[in-house]
Amino acid sequence: MNGCRVLMVLVAAALLMLVLPMTAAAETTNVTIRVNEYIVLNNDIYLEVRDVGAGGISYAEVWFRSSQDSVGTVTKVYTGDIPTSYTSGTGLTIKVTLDSAFSNGASFVIESSKPLYVTERHGAEVETEPVTVPKLTITRTIDPNAAEIGQTVKVTLTIKNTGNGTATDIMLDEGTIAKTYKDGCPSTIDDIAAGATERIEYDLKIGEDVQSGTREMPASVLNYKGEPGDSYSTQSQSSVLDIISKTVLLPEMTISIDPPIDYVVTCGDKVPMVVTITNIGNATSEKVYVKGDLPPGVRLKGGELEPVYESIKPDKSEEYEVTLVANEEGKHVVEMKVMWADEEATAVFEFLAEKSGLEKYYIYIIVAIPILLILLWIIKRRREYSY
Amino acid sequence: MLNILVLGLGQCGNRILDAMNREAFGRGGAFAKYYTRQKFPASVKTIAINTAINDLKGLVDTRAKDRLHVPHLHGVGANRSIGKRVFGENKEIIMSEIDKRGTFDLIFIITSAAGGSGSSFAPLLVRELKETYTNAPIICITVLPFREEGSIFLQNAAFCLKDLIDEKPAGVLLVDNQYLKKYAGDIKSAYDKINTTTARRLLFLIEALNSEMLMVTDLGDLKTVMNGGIGIGTMGFYEASKDSTIKSAILGSFKPSGLLFPTNVYKEGARAMLIIKGDKKYLDLDLITKTIEELSNEVGQVFKGVLVQRGKPRVLSLFTLNSVPELEKLYAIAAEAIRSERERQDKSKSQLDSAFSHIEDLEPIY
Repeated sequence: MNGCRVLMVLVAAALLMLVLPMTAAAETTNVTIRVNEYIVLNNDIYLEVRDVGAGGISYAEVWFRSSQDSVGTVTKVYTGDIPTSYTSGTGLTIKVTLDSAFSNGASFVIESSKPLYVTERHGAEVETEPVTVPKLTITRTIDPNAAEIGQTVKVTLTIKNTGNGTATDIMLDEGTIAKTYKDGCPSTIDDIAAGATERIEYDLKIGEDVQSGTREMPASVLNYKGEPGDSYSTQSQSSVLDIISKTVLLPEMTISIDPPIDYVVTCGDKVPMVVTITNIGNATSEKVYVKGDLPPGVRLKGGELEPVYESIKPDKSEEYEVTLVANEEGKHVVEMKVMWADEEATAVFEFLAEKSGLEKYYIYIIVAIPILLILLWIIKRRREYSY
Repeated sequence: MLNILVLGLGQCGNRILDAMNREAFGRGGAFAKYYTRQKFPASVKTIAINTAINDLKGLVDTRAKDRLHVPHLHGVGANRSIGKRVFGENKEIIMSEIDKRGTFDLIFIITSAAGGSGSSFAPLLVRELKETYTNAPIICITVLPFREEGSIFLQNAAFCLKDLIDEKPAGVLLVDNQYLKKYAGDIKSAYDKINTTTARRLLFLIEALNSEMLMVTDLGDLKTVMNGGIGIGTMGFYEASKDSTIKSAILGSFKPSGLLFPTNVYKEGARAMLIIKGDKKYLDLDLITKTIEELSNEVGQVFKGVLVQRGKPRVLSLFTLNSVPELEKLYAIAAEAIRSERERQDKSKSQLDSAFSHIEDLEPIY
């Protein structure tokens, strides 16, 4: 038994030792194939480049076939993508990765478990050096992204060249919000070397006549060229700017009278009236005038009816008290007016004056007094002549 | 301005005094006292004096403070003896009340000769006033009763008049109710008319004495007139019509119809005073003088005063008499009444004595 076990371990170890050298012995070959050119690997597998794309994400359209698989497979291989596998009719497997694509060809990295040899090449000459391609990305920020009408916000454009070539002839086509004005926004940008980042800042002034609301600022578009003169284009995301109505600084006065309307008094009695002037605006008011209009039959008993205030600050009040006296019965309406700048506000104080209890009987008293006097006189004279 | 005191004694004197006060209010009627003051033609003070409080209460136009009640039940009952005693007991009160009015130039005492209080107070008051107010002539206006009023009143009138004359006032002016009864049909109206007539004539006289006149007569003349004859006189009055002359007005005041006491002025007059008032157009001084000269031949000394005043001519005549035949008649009636009364009393007493004689020897058995 022990002998069998030892044997089994030895077999397993031998198998493992066989496998490990096979894995570690994977072969990698770099080849460049021009468009419409093909190579033969190990006299078995045919690789033919039928087309390439060099803008944005590079690709190469490759026709895989073998001696026993004359139809093969046409596949697009992209840079940065996972390797594309192909197994020939004889069982040879290769894994192909697109290293780079250029205008008339592409460079591949080919891996296999067996050593690979380019046994044949047919078609165009093989480029010996890779083509450099610029690749710009642009991002845009607006600070702040909410502003009042008339304010200026700062727009920052960050342009990064992630390609391997210098971007030249860069043209900036910046999006615009209607009735906003750009200050310092360039239309052309200096060349940006591969891997370099360019930051551009400019002011965006929100016009006075713009309507408030959320506005979308279209994307910034960059048009540029690579070293060979190829044209490229990229754009940023569109941005959003909240335009807030402009805050106007104005004083605004209110005037109120205490007591309220429907106040009932007696003729001749004092009627206290407290006038309060409040600045509910957001600016200090200079020279605030108060005017009072007393109706006939009402006179000022005490206090100053029409004061003048040099200034009243926002959210501040001025209060004063006057005393009125109504001489005539009936409904009286006192109109008080506060005036500032070219504005005015009005408050009304209504009160009902009633005759006093005594006053109601004035006519009777007036009639009664002489009668009483005459009566008293008669009584006096009667007593004078009575015995 | 003359200071004149007018005293109204007893019911009759009070009423005439009240009439004077009423006349002093002018033409205001019964309500005048409530809105105006009395306007006497001189400084006139009036006092109504009575023992009967009801008589004082009955006065209308005399101020309460001018009414003096001499306390004795409710009058002296027409008894002059009691009246004299009451006066004696209250003399100080009466004189004190008079004294409060100040001094006087002339005093009138108005009284009935027939009543109790007035007839008994008047002679005694004359005596007191003469002692106190030596320079003020005292003229008594004495009212004689209706003859049919009864023996007591006739007796009182007879003795009162005698007592008055004995006290020698400046003069006695007689007013005869019996004679003046002709003015009205009923007694009440007659009394009112007599009182008013007497009051108006006294005020007429007072006004004349106190006024500036066209032809002057004054208090001295009045004294002289009142000293004439037996010191007894009366007053006459006449208001002329529009067309009559001043002479007819003067002569009219001498007529019996205008006198307060029945007498024949032309026959019995001793002295006279004529006071003539009227519009100047009526006052013909020559005619007045001539008429008075003619009268003087018959009546004796005639003093005249002419006062220009709006209205028709009015003439007041005041006389003193040398003889008073009507008084003789009055006294004869009074004496007869006294005798008759005494006889009746004696007869009644004898009848009573005779009646009592029936039980003279008897004693009550129960």
